[in-house]
Amino acid sequence: MRAAQQGDRVLYGALLTAVIRPLRRAARARWPRADAAAIEDAVQETLLALHNSRHLYDPERPFMPFLFGIMRFRGGDVMRRTRRAGARETSIDDIPETSDALRTDSDQDKGLEADALRAAIARLPDGQRRAIEMTKLQELSLEEASTVSGMSVAALKVATHRGVLALRKLLNGSN
Amino acid sequence: MKTERLVERLASELTPVQRIARPATRLAWWLLISVPAVCLVVWAFGLRPDLAERLSDRAFLVEEAAALLTAAVGIYAALCAGLPDQPGWKVWLPMAPMALWLGFLGQQCLDVFLRQGPEGLRITSDAMCLPAIAMGGLIPAIAIVVMLRRSGKFRTTHACLCGAMGAAALGAAALRLFHMEDAAIMVIVWQLGSVALFSLVAGAISRMLVDNQPDSFLHGAP
Repeated sequence: MRAAQQGDRVLYGALLTAVIRPLRRAARARWPRADAAAIEDAVQETLLALHNSRHLYDPERPFMPFLFGIMRFRGGDVMRRTRRAGARETSIDDIPETSDALRTDSDQDKGLEADALRAAIARLPDGQRRAIEMTKLQELSLEEASTVSGMSVAALKVATHRGVLALRKLLNGSN
Repeated sequence: MKTERLVERLASELTPVQRIARPATRLAWWLLISVPAVCLVVWAFGLRPDLAERLSDRAFLVEEAAALLTAAVGIYAALCAGLPDQPGWKVWLPMAPMALWLGFLGQQCLDVFLRQGPEGLRITSDAMCLPAIAMGGLIPAIAIVVMLRRSGKFRTTHACLCGAMGAAALGAAALRLFHMEDAAIMVIVWQLGSVALFSLVAGAISRMLVDNQPDSFLHGAP
């Protein structure tokens, strides 16, 4: 470490490589319930902090307590961060991509879609809007809708078809 | 990023560094800067007229010694807090002179209470203490912040708490040399209160005073 303070890259690289295994071992002993990724994060944060704190090392004092002291602080930070993240995050690795479990609030989505559809229907021309309301929302047959509206069945078919196309355009446009 | 890759990267970025001095040496530097600055503040306010008489009073001397000890030990603890290999007990060391200071003043309060009853412990307003301690402790506080910014980013809240305690305690010791307020209860409330207030404020804004964010290129690195 004394050589590292003087800028010897080769010896510094050798030192860092040599301390990886003791650091992993010490981290596993200190945080036995931590997973492998958290242990590796703790080791890496320790190496990084050692790099940034190399001016603090006093060559008259032993090196390992200095290194493990850094690990105690930086590893502790990593474990706290991991715990906090674990408390507010859900792992999605084991959930199939198509699963409905990934939906956060499906009812809310449905409500939003229904609102958007109602708003789009309201923007249709009068004839198309009435045709859609009768045949799609009230689910009347073409004959019943014809009787109620006084429009011919053919006119209702055309208005409904155009209404659906217009709705599709309006809804896709709003997305 | 793989650990082995990180090691390569750290080694390739290595530059020589200047080692920082030991905490005791840095404490000596702090005293060298702070004591003359505090003397200037005392000189600017003017020595209290009864100072010679007070200096022959044992209680006054013990109180001043406890304040100065709190200042020195507080700064020493702040400098140790930033070093990862320093034991935890050193960081809590300022509690001892602080307790001595408080205990001594507390004993004086008890004496007054036994002699004069609750009337002797009446607290009145003393608007001078807080700004005077702030003025006296300003240069020492700036000096310790500069030192802590160069120190390690470990136990920073604790380091700032102890550093502010040390600077404010020196300011409070100086205050006694020019401010004629000797009632123990007033010293506890206004002078020790100011020291505690400055310490807590510094602890609360430690991230601002001493960068507490670990420099990291682990996250988001290739």
